[in-house]
Amino acid sequence: MTASAGTRTRPAVAAIRPRARRRESGLLIIVALVLLLGSVSLGATQRELAGQKVTWLPADAGQLVVYLTALFGAHLALVLAGRRSDQVLLPTIGLLAGISLLLMERLPQSLVTQSLAGRTFGLASIQLGWLLLALAVITIVALAVRSDAWLRRYKYTWAAAGISLLLLTFLFGNEVNGALLTIQIGPLSGQPTELIKVILVIFLAGYLSEFRPLLVEASMRLGPLQLPPLPYLLPMLAMWAMALGIVVIQRDLGAALLFFAVFLALVYIATARASYVVVGLILFAAGSVVAYQLFGTVRDRVDIWINPFADASGKGYQVVQSLYAFARGGIIGTGLGAGLPLVGGRLPIPAIHTDFPFAALGEELGLIGVVAILGLYLIVIERGLRVAASAADDFRSLLAAGLTLVVGVQAFIIAAGNLKLIPLTGVTLPFISYGGSSLLANGVVIGLLLALSDRGVEPPPPAPAGRRRFAFLRGSRQEAG
Amino acid sequence: MNTLDRAPIGRGIARTGLILSVLFGLIAVGAGYWQVVRASELSRAADNPLVIAAARDVVRGTIVDRSGAILASNRYDANGEPYRVYADRSLAPLIGYASPVYGTAGLERADNAELTGLGSNNSLEDLLYKLAPQRRQGADLTLSLSLKLQEAAVKALGAYRGAVVMLDPRTGRVLAMASTPVFDASAIANPITAQAAFARTSAAAGQPFLNRATMGRYVPGSVFKIVTSIAALGSGAINASTSYPQQPAAEQTGLLVSGFRIHDGHHDFTGSQVLDYDQAIEVSCNIYFALTGLRTGGAALADWADRLGFGAPIPFDLPTATSQVTNGGGSFGGGFSDDVELANAAYGQAETLVTPLQMALVAASVANGGVLMKPELVTGISGPAGNQTIGPAALGTVMTPAVAGTIGNAMELAVESDWGRIFTTGAAIPGILTAGKTGTAEIGGSAEPNSWFIGYAPADNPEVAIAVIVEQGGHGSAQAAPIAGSLMSLWLKTLNP
Repeated sequence: MTASAGTRTRPAVAAIRPRARRRESGLLIIVALVLLLGSVSLGATQRELAGQKVTWLPADAGQLVVYLTALFGAHLALVLAGRRSDQVLLPTIGLLAGISLLLMERLPQSLVTQSLAGRTFGLASIQLGWLLLALAVITIVALAVRSDAWLRRYKYTWAAAGISLLLLTFLFGNEVNGALLTIQIGPLSGQPTELIKVILVIFLAGYLSEFRPLLVEASMRLGPLQLPPLPYLLPMLAMWAMALGIVVIQRDLGAALLFFAVFLALVYIATARASYVVVGLILFAAGSVVAYQLFGTVRDRVDIWINPFADASGKGYQVVQSLYAFARGGIIGTGLGAGLPLVGGRLPIPAIHTDFPFAALGEELGLIGVVAILGLYLIVIERGLRVAASAADDFRSLLAAGLTLVVGVQAFIIAAGNLKLIPLTGVTLPFISYGGSSLLANGVVIGLLLALSDRGVEPPPPAPAGRRRFAFLRGSRQEAG
Repeated sequence: MNTLDRAPIGRGIARTGLILSVLFGLIAVGAGYWQVVRASELSRAADNPLVIAAARDVVRGTIVDRSGAILASNRYDANGEPYRVYADRSLAPLIGYASPVYGTAGLERADNAELTGLGSNNSLEDLLYKLAPQRRQGADLTLSLSLKLQEAAVKALGAYRGAVVMLDPRTGRVLAMASTPVFDASAIANPITAQAAFARTSAAAGQPFLNRATMGRYVPGSVFKIVTSIAALGSGAINASTSYPQQPAAEQTGLLVSGFRIHDGHHDFTGSQVLDYDQAIEVSCNIYFALTGLRTGGAALADWADRLGFGAPIPFDLPTATSQVTNGGGSFGGGFSDDVELANAAYGQAETLVTPLQMALVAASVANGGVLMKPELVTGISGPAGNQTIGPAALGTVMTPAVAGTIGNAMELAVESDWGRIFTTGAAIPGILTAGKTGTAEIGGSAEPNSWFIGYAPADNPEVAIAVIVEQGGHGSAQAAPIAGSLMSLWLKTLNP
């Protein structure tokens, strides 16, 4: 994390002086109270269902205390370091992740178990561990990244790293629900696409900020469309090919959709040209049609999306059960712990902790809870785009916007999939789904956003003079000079 | 800073934010759709875990017939666990079963939510329940069915496979809905005998689990001529005095339609007589209706059939199969592939397939002066939430009272006139004017044809409409018509005088 290339001298860093973050403190207290209330409600419900005496104790006081301590610890670290970064992101993420913890406490602990040092940990304990790690990542990234030179300088290295990760997944990946999603290293398994999405944004921010003038000004006409010259169109096609490759090779529709949507949005932000989006959407449509024709997985997903009830006990089972869960929740929900009726001792949706936490929350927190959670994501988006809009240069703008989009678009894809608004694809609900890769990658995203929002961060390097055509062919040597 | 000012990037970011806000708003709208608009319906679906879970710890409501006779009730085993018992095997394909092992079927499945106390259909009450949950109590159902008529219908079908649907044409309420063979639903509901009974019934010949009245799709044969009549008279293609000069001659060699010959069996009797509409119904003239179908056109025939409920599942308490006039997809109009198919369909052969319930509705709409009532089985739900009365409700006006009168008059002649008695039916009820139409549906090969009857009585003031199908029962007049006559007589004279 300290990979500052050191080609420029840093501005003299003032002595570190703690600086109060009152807004963040106040919001975090509200978050803590909300989570306490949720935990008390869950505890009461769980005891009543178990036939025990109903008390006012939280469901799992220990886990809640540990989590809140870590959350306030992150806050304290930012205060002590005197950072003037965004004060809304951390509490918002803290609430989303806290809701995740309550949900994991509420689900059967046997969904995921891990033995470590002679002890066996269940779903909520493991998720709590990942949440603590994610908070640590957020804090470390937010504090350690004082310069973005290492991000902007090596964009092709980043691209290579991303593609390598993709290839690794292809070569050594394990299949999950018909998609190559995870890599196993020793006892740990991870989803590389979660990391790749961050790397992709870093590369795109670097690429687009460098070639933005060319992409905006130069053009060739193709029918009614104003297009950039072919050399600048190529990366777009390459990106499209990569998304399609993810579909073809990994059969991971969610990641492909996410990557392509973020890519298009960033191109649009960089160029303000609707024609790029139109071309992108045409490519997307064409790719979708071809994928639908060629791949059974894609066909299944689309058919299920059109009418899941046609095969409600087979292929459409999960989606139908997801819709049933939302329906059972109604407006106010059943209350935490009171929903998700078991079928033969099992949850109605097997992948509820990874792919369908939104449906579970829709049932137990109701439409009110759904709207609140959507609101939290919109706050994250608003804060992130605010960071982007007020960033010092194009690279930071595009980076902040891209990181924000990664979270926002991913939340949209899975939430809309749970509600049958779009075909279901297996991406995680950021900060809520169970899983370490997702939490850590999104932790990096939030950490970077906090760092970019810091008014004390190193100013960007001066833009190189003149415009360089085809500079991308020569890599980043000019910058290095 | 590069040469571009920062404005476009700011604008792009703002617009992207706006688009994402709209997308998230759409998710909220979608959530509202499933959590409010569709919530009640989905929460009562038979395969919803909530319904399945509720069924385990709720004592199911009882089901009674129109006079209060108990059709389905509960007994308790040695452990105090309730299980279901049914009044009679004749109810089995209709009411189905509720078994701790094999789940639910029939009405027990369709109204599982109500019977297990989930069917308040009242969002405020659902809301209050979530705030203060209490043990649920199953609601009781009252059916329009008559147990005695139901038993008589199954008895009348005897060893034949088939179905009987009887309903009150004025209200659409079902009086009897029989399907044979029947099975022992009580044995499947009883935990001790469940396994053996289920295996035995699954392996039995004739698919006893199938409710033929709603799910069986049959070639209608000549009973479909009533549908053709409704389309032809309703669209003005023909009137009661329409006749076809070529008809008597065509009977000798068959009517040639694009190389296909349509035959008829009454020439020896009617000779060279040119038949009008009434006479064509009386002697069930295939050639008359083939020509009428061609004159009406495929599009009009399909359109009028759809008004009667063809082309889509009939809204009913139980799932219903879709009746069709054609497989569709043809370019000849209305989905017919050519004039041969249309001509054959017009007298009920070709690709025409109907459910007994659909044909009972055809008879009922004629009987009710052209107004088609929504068929209903459950007429009352009484539970902790109070009593709810259902229907009657009209599905729509299919034809004018004048058209219904013309067709009704011909159907009355088909049962009561000299010709009618010979050619179509033995459905006449002594002392009560009856209207009806038989059908003899060829099912191919050397098998006996399916025997059909649809009709209603009393013809001048209809109280009951009926459809009877007897699989491989021979001519319509041989099996179905006498069964219909005896059941309508039983209802009008004995059970509901």
